[in-house]
Amino acid sequence: MRMNSILNRASRNFLWQHPWQLVLAIVGIALGVAVVIAIDLAMESSLKSFNQAGKAFSGSATHRIVAGDGGLDERLYTRLRVEQGIANLSPVVSGTVKLMQPQQETFSLIGIDPFIEKSLHSGWQNEQKEKFPRELLNRLMTEPNSVLLSEKTAQRLHLQVNGQLKVVTERGPQSLTIIGLLPGNNAISDQVLARLLITDIATAQEVLGAYGGLSSIEVMIDKDTPEALAAIQKVLPGYAMLVSIDSQADSMREMTDAFSINLKALGLLSLLVGMFLIYNTMTFLVMQRRRLIGTLRLLGVTRQQVFKLIIGEAFLLAIVGTIVGIALGIVLGQGLLYLISGTINALYFRIDAASLMVTPLQIAKGVALGIGATLLAVLPPAFEATRLSAVKVLARSQLESGSRRLIKTVGSMSFVLILGGLSLAYFSGNSINFGLASVFLVLFGFGLLTPVVTLAFMNLIERVFGRFLGILGRLPARMVAAEISRTGLAIAALMIAVSATIGMDLMIGSFRQTVAQWLHSSLPADLYVSLSGEKMTAGKAQSDHRLKDKLAGLNGVEMLSTALHTKVSVNGKLTKISVYELNDKFRQGFIFKHQVNDDVWMRFDNERTVMITEPYAYHHGVKPGQQVFLKTDQGELAFDVIAIYGDYNGDQGHLAMSRQNYQRYWPDLGYSGIGVYAKAGADLKQLENRVGELLTAHQAVKSNQDIYKASMEVFEQTFTITETLRWLSAAIAFVGVFSALMALQFERTRQLGILRAIGITSMQLTVLIVSETGLMGLVAGLLAVPVGFLVAYILIFVVYQRSFGWTMAFYSDSGVLYQGVALAFIAALFAGVFPALKMAQTKPAEALRTE
Amino acid sequence: MTKETAISIQQLSKSYQESGQQHAIFSNLEMQVARGEFIVLLGRSGSGKSTFLNLISGIDPPDSGKVLINGTDITGLSEHKRTLFRRHHIGFVFQSFNLIPTLTVAENLLLPLELIKRVTRQDHQHVGQLLEKLNLADRLNTYPDRLSGGEQQRIAIARALIHDPDVILADEPTGNLDLDTAEQVLELLDILVRKAGKTMIMATHSPEVIGKADRVFSVRNKALHAHEFDS
Ligand SMILES: Nc1ncnc2c1ncn2[C@@H]1O[C@H](COP(=O)(O)OP(=O)(O)OP(=O)(O)O)[C@@H](O)[C@H]1O
Ligand SMILES: [Mg+2]
Repeated sequence: MRMNSILNRASRNFLWQHPWQLVLAIVGIALGVAVVIAIDLAMESSLKSFNQAGKAFSGSATHRIVAGDGGLDERLYTRLRVEQGIANLSPVVSGTVKLMQPQQETFSLIGIDPFIEKSLHSGWQNEQKEKFPRELLNRLMTEPNSVLLSEKTAQRLHLQVNGQLKVVTERGPQSLTIIGLLPGNNAISDQVLARLLITDIATAQEVLGAYGGLSSIEVMIDKDTPEALAAIQKVLPGYAMLVSIDSQADSMREMTDAFSINLKALGLLSLLVGMFLIYNTMTFLVMQRRRLIGTLRLLGVTRQQVFKLIIGEAFLLAIVGTIVGIALGIVLGQGLLYLISGTINALYFRIDAASLMVTPLQIAKGVALGIGATLLAVLPPAFEATRLSAVKVLARSQLESGSRRLIKTVGSMSFVLILGGLSLAYFSGNSINFGLASVFLVLFGFGLLTPVVTLAFMNLIERVFGRFLGILGRLPARMVAAEISRTGLAIAALMIAVSATIGMDLMIGSFRQTVAQWLHSSLPADLYVSLSGEKMTAGKAQSDHRLKDKLAGLNGVEMLSTALHTKVSVNGKLTKISVYELNDKFRQGFIFKHQVNDDVWMRFDNERTVMITEPYAYHHGVKPGQQVFLKTDQGELAFDVIAIYGDYNGDQGHLAMSRQNYQRYWPDLGYSGIGVYAKAGADLKQLENRVGELLTAHQAVKSNQDIYKASMEVFEQTFTITETLRWLSAAIAFVGVFSALMALQFERTRQLGILRAIGITSMQLTVLIVSETGLMGLVAGLLAVPVGFLVAYILIFVVYQRSFGWTMAFYSDSGVLYQGVALAFIAALFAGVFPALKMAQTKPAEALRTE
Repeated sequence: MTKETAISIQQLSKSYQESGQQHAIFSNLEMQVARGEFIVLLGRSGSGKSTFLNLISGIDPPDSGKVLINGTDITGLSEHKRTLFRRHHIGFVFQSFNLIPTLTVAENLLLPLELIKRVTRQDHQHVGQLLEKLNLADRLNTYPDRLSGGEQQRIAIARALIHDPDVILADEPTGNLDLDTAEQVLELLDILVRKAGKTMIMATHSPEVIGKADRVFSVRNKALHAHEFDS
């Protein structure tokens, strides 16, 4: 007992004497935990906000009748209810509106029927049935343009009951009357509620211009009466679908799965680098105390006690680091939330995530991760500590010759890992997880190989330059080699971080090039008119056609192409489809992923065919020559798949169909965009102005360059998150290398003192240490280049293809490579400067006093 | 004292700050050492022997007073100048871990030469001869950690002398060695230093040295006390 408390005091005192090592270890744990936690929080919060927004009006519904963008005809509701006698239905009209003031915030406007069956009451209604006067619901029904909104929002925007809320929709500015406020409750989080305006069906239809339309019908079906499902299916028109709420939530998760896995892998990388930091610090703390520990053993302290002592220290560090890490993670998560929801918005579906939702489970995960990782990292030095004995207090150099043998063994083991990683990449089918695991294996394998390579490199440097360098000049390389167990690890960590950076850089660069080429070829028209807007809006199709006719008649217009982007049910899943009226130029812009027959365009226009994008083919395993089943007004029909084409617009994939085909089976929804091809020699600026004059406020005309630029911006935006995380892990690696160098120099204080006594100036000492760290950076950088290439290769051809279904070309960029080497070199130099200065400033008398 | 003065110490004071308290080690020391003299410093542990040697070499600056080596006041020099001075004029032997572990025996010996001039073929030959004298000729390219403690100390002595400094400072050079080995090392020091006519100050606990010394001092109560010895 007493022994223990004295032991602990000895350990604590020692820790306090090395404050910066202590701080760096905590920083390592904290950063690793923070990045992982932040990604988890931000990702989950984004998805949750989407789910909850749905719950806000779905109540306890089990199913939902949805349609493509055109919405449902409200007569469907009447038919189901009156003719089929189906109870438990709740119609919903939803859309988005913008506030006129301030900052044009977006709100979801949701119109419901307040008097439907209680079981279908929305989340907000259920929670507050007593507090909520029936009179208010009456007013919602009877007073035109009346809405409810959350108390918090009202407070924030300084709005009062009976006040007016000015909003803008497709149909222009409108005024809504606030007739009541919704207090916060448990069913829906405040963040979601804060973005909702609740109203009745009629108001929503009017405000959104969706006369006679519904967005969806919520359905509650008892498990005991499955025949109700069949009854609904029977009367559903071709454009509508019955989906289960659960499957909708699942498919959302599925959709973002690949994205989420890739992000989490980046988080893991940070944690791994963070673990290196912990390992490094604990090893330092053990090595520094080998005399003390040896003495303690002589005094009768058992191995177990020594082991417990080291683990106990690590545990303390882990707790402090984890707490700091979680706090940091929440702050960081808030920042990442915007980036992640931006990417989800661009790639998948619309979400408005306003703030982070933190659950105890996620915190628990962070705690487990921080403590688990720390303890894992500390095991090797803890075992090392138990082997120290007083009789044989090992000199550092003796330990080194032991570790040299180990390094050679580890080096040969690394080949197994690298080969294992590569074959995993090759043979693991379509698994994203295995694909990422192979990246980790390869990185880790090369990490283990690093010390061997370092030794060889230092040897080479000495052989080649040794005779010109003099003895002092040979020292840096010698020092790196002599303490390979420490330097090798720091170099490996730096190498892993830099090669991951190079790999991602090359991957993003290749992707950017691929997308840029695709954009160039898929934007053949000179001008593009976008006819965005709610396709539910009555009369949209007619006005779109009128616009098209006017465009065709403009002076200087050679021809047009049109596109309509909507959704249909394909093989039972609501799927995006692009409906095209093409011309020759546009046709040439399609990049097919295989050899196609000459008659492909003829069949596209005239036969019951579709083309599919590459991600669609990948995710659904569909090949040309096969068929897909599309739900039309005439029932489910088979369409021949005639081609797979490249498309980098979203990773879920979609179909393309000719307008002729579409018109045959589905109602007219107008156009999403019209491409305008100018006659040769026409003044494009003038034409753009003339086109602009024909447009309403919600239509816009853009040149193909503008669209190109905007698309590339979206591309860059989707990778902001990746870039950010990549730099975060590089930053952690930097802290790691810094702490390793600090520890390294600290350990050789005495040796540096001798050098100073012999007459080496403090300037020479600085140069010596900085050259040593520069050499370390150089090795890391040189090794990182081929490894980065390999990583890029696996990312492009394995991970990304499996994640998103895109194929891309590998574009190597020599700039990236130089930057990689420079990055490692400069990072190491930089990390070495402070320890070098510190050592140079240490008084020689003090230095000689150590050890 | 007719001989030329190699080291002159005047009014030298040194104290350390420890947990806020001033803790004097020496006050107003005076000492003259003639060229070629062999001085032994005795004193119990913590009395200030190492501190004294560090003050002479300029590794540690004094609070006040002067240290003149061959007439140069090193206390008046900048840190940088002091280092350069040390390079040329002073050789060191410490109790242990004298050698740079990442350099071979030969390189350890050549390092002080390299600091003051271009290393020539002759220098390499010189190192070879020196090692031969030390009976360590076959260990030229060995790293220090493969050598025994005694062998390491012999190399350290050779290194202290290689660049022909005026003054040798030895801080318990035999402290870590067994009696026999210590004997050998001291013998070597005596022969090499004497023969070369160098000035040497050695701090030690071993009384055997006393017989070889010209003068013996003990460090006590912040001052140096000259020993009168009978033998
Ligand atoms: N940097 C320092 N800060 C505070 N006190 C110091 C410092 N350096 C030396 N001392 C103190 O100065 C005194 C003399 O130390 P010094 O090392 O010179 O003794 P020594 O005679 O060489 O002892 P030993 O025989 O054990 O080597 C000691 O009490 C020591 O604690
Ligand atoms: Mg001493």
